[in-house]
Amino acid sequence: MRRFMYLALWTIFVFLFVGLVQAQDTIKIGFFAPITGPAAADGTSAKHAVELGLKEVNDAGGIKGKKVELIIYDDRLNPQEAVAIANKLIEKDKVVGVVSGSYSGPTRVTAPIFQKAEIPMVAGYAVHPDVTWDPTQKKPNDFIFRNGFLGEVEGAAAAEFAVKNLKAKKISIISMDNDFGRAISAGFAARAEKLGSTILTKQMYKFPGEKDFRPFLTRIKEGNPDLIFAAGYYNEAASIVRQAKELGITAQIMGEEGFDSPKFLEIAGPAAEGVIIATNLDRDDPRPVVQNFLTNYRKAYNEDADMVGASSYDAFMILVDAIKKAGTDPKAIQKALLETKDYNGLTGKISRFIQGEVVKPVQIQVVKGGKFRRLGVVDNPEVITPPLKQ
Amino acid sequence: MLIQQLANGIAIGSVYALISLGLTMVYGILRILHVAHAGIYALGAYVGWFSFRLIGDFWLSLLIGMAGSALAGYFVQRYLYSPLLHLPRIAPLIVSIGLFIAMEETFRIIAGPHTLTYNARVGLGDLSIGNFQLTETQILILFITGLILVILWAILTRTRTGLAMRACAMDAETTSSFGVNVNAIIAINFLLGSAMAGAAGVLIGVYDNQVWPTMGSIPAYKSLAIVVLGGLGNIPGTVLASLVVGLAETFFIGVVAIPFPRDAVAFIAMILVLMFRPYGLLGKA
Repeated sequence: MRRFMYLALWTIFVFLFVGLVQAQDTIKIGFFAPITGPAAADGTSAKHAVELGLKEVNDAGGIKGKKVELIIYDDRLNPQEAVAIANKLIEKDKVVGVVSGSYSGPTRVTAPIFQKAEIPMVAGYAVHPDVTWDPTQKKPNDFIFRNGFLGEVEGAAAAEFAVKNLKAKKISIISMDNDFGRAISAGFAARAEKLGSTILTKQMYKFPGEKDFRPFLTRIKEGNPDLIFAAGYYNEAASIVRQAKELGITAQIMGEEGFDSPKFLEIAGPAAEGVIIATNLDRDDPRPVVQNFLTNYRKAYNEDADMVGASSYDAFMILVDAIKKAGTDPKAIQKALLETKDYNGLTGKISRFIQGEVVKPVQIQVVKGGKFRRLGVVDNPEVITPPLKQ
Repeated sequence: MLIQQLANGIAIGSVYALISLGLTMVYGILRILHVAHAGIYALGAYVGWFSFRLIGDFWLSLLIGMAGSALAGYFVQRYLYSPLLHLPRIAPLIVSIGLFIAMEETFRIIAGPHTLTYNARVGLGDLSIGNFQLTETQILILFITGLILVILWAILTRTRTGLAMRACAMDAETTSSFGVNVNAIIAINFLLGSAMAGAAGVLIGVYDNQVWPTMGSIPAYKSLAIVVLGGLGNIPGTVLASLVVGLAETFFIGVVAIPFPRDAVAFIAMILVLMFRPYGLLGKA
């Protein structure tokens, strides 16, 4: 027993010591993602990508000579957990800024907490409008910024390409029933109808849980559309694409950033060929920031990077960039973020933030030879400028 | 297109039947709700997937998956349920729920959070007549389910073991007084039921080309609704209920286009049955 006490005491001392040394001269950035639980695959991608960014920043000497320290928490895709994490990051870890590598649920509940504490947060890919907006006060959360597209914007950009470039006149929509699917398919339908196309059918499937899309697709096949817009994440997306092929459906299938994962290509197999998606990562972008990230990610983790990872990496780097400009005062960092102009991001050149929403072109990719390749870019300002919330 | 939806519905209904039969057999003989049965189903998919990766032969991986599930089911019965049978029925139910959660987490820890692909082909090819498509995996599901049901029917009606199983389901105590080894019958019951769940896991793994840690979470409650619908413990009733639910789901989504998720169908049917035929679709009042 006594020996155990000594051991425990020593362990505590070591931790205290390490803590003291670390506390001395690092810049602390908070990070949370669903590293375990139902979204563990995405959470792990986000964590890997941000750790890669951290390594790059520190290998290059940190920020003004100070190393960056990443405080990582696992929210298990649980909003209650995320609230506790937010309070811990503010009070215990005293971070200067936060990166969300999580979904809308956990990100949305932490937004008002960071807003109140005046700590800036950059969300990687959470889509819900209330991440950057306070619905009770009806004003923007001006400390919160989003690197991913609003669902409406991405959906509208997909419709723009579907109607103008692919000449789709008759369209069927199949969408997952959650914030993400609803927002993105609403944006798609509105834009497609405005451009004169007809929406034949609009179906919702349950998420998580639905795997058998044959009844939905058989109904779609009856209408014989030119294009099927499918809003959902990659597991379901892969099932839809495969089952459509099995049923002999020849209509063009179009998806969104939820498809953007090597897992989609693996599960869908040859059926993925020719599928077109709207996303924010252009793998054929020659800029070094893109190509270096793709190679380094592959080298470090022995798998290909996905949209979730790239977006979280960007969110981290945007925050680092602001700290480089403004120093470590959270309010100065927020000001620098507000003033972001023509930032050279991994997921596209960010012209600015409006009410915390990113303004950048939407990438259109097509699956060719088992890989996502560039097909086009939607940069019509009417489509990619986020609608003002009020 | 109606005939296409009919094929879609019968295929998914067949898988529901394979999962639910084990559950109804366990309830028939032990009167406990075996929630972890859905974990046994997912285990079958994982064992099948793993052996498919090793061997590369679908039929062998199906048999190994079934054997893995059968063994797991036997151990659950022997070491978890048996010692608890003298307690109120809530005790094995709690154990069952706990075991189910533990199994899901174990799959995640061992095989990772990612979805695994079970891309097995047996070389049958798809059947395509005009606009109607019966895919290879659908043919496989119909064939294997049909075969298993015939075997189960033969065991139950043509063998002495089957006679003893049916007798145990009616009244285990009286059956034991006739010299039947009730414990052995219970074990056989679990072996058969779990093997069927394992087959369902493998078939769904191939049908969707996906094996994932929480694949049992929806079957865990949907099969309970189906079992109630079929009349707890009633085997032909469960088969009928599975097909009814599979077809109803498919037609409600694909023809009527209901605005609520498919899982609601099984529960609405269950509520209706509890209101008007509490003894199940085929039961007698």
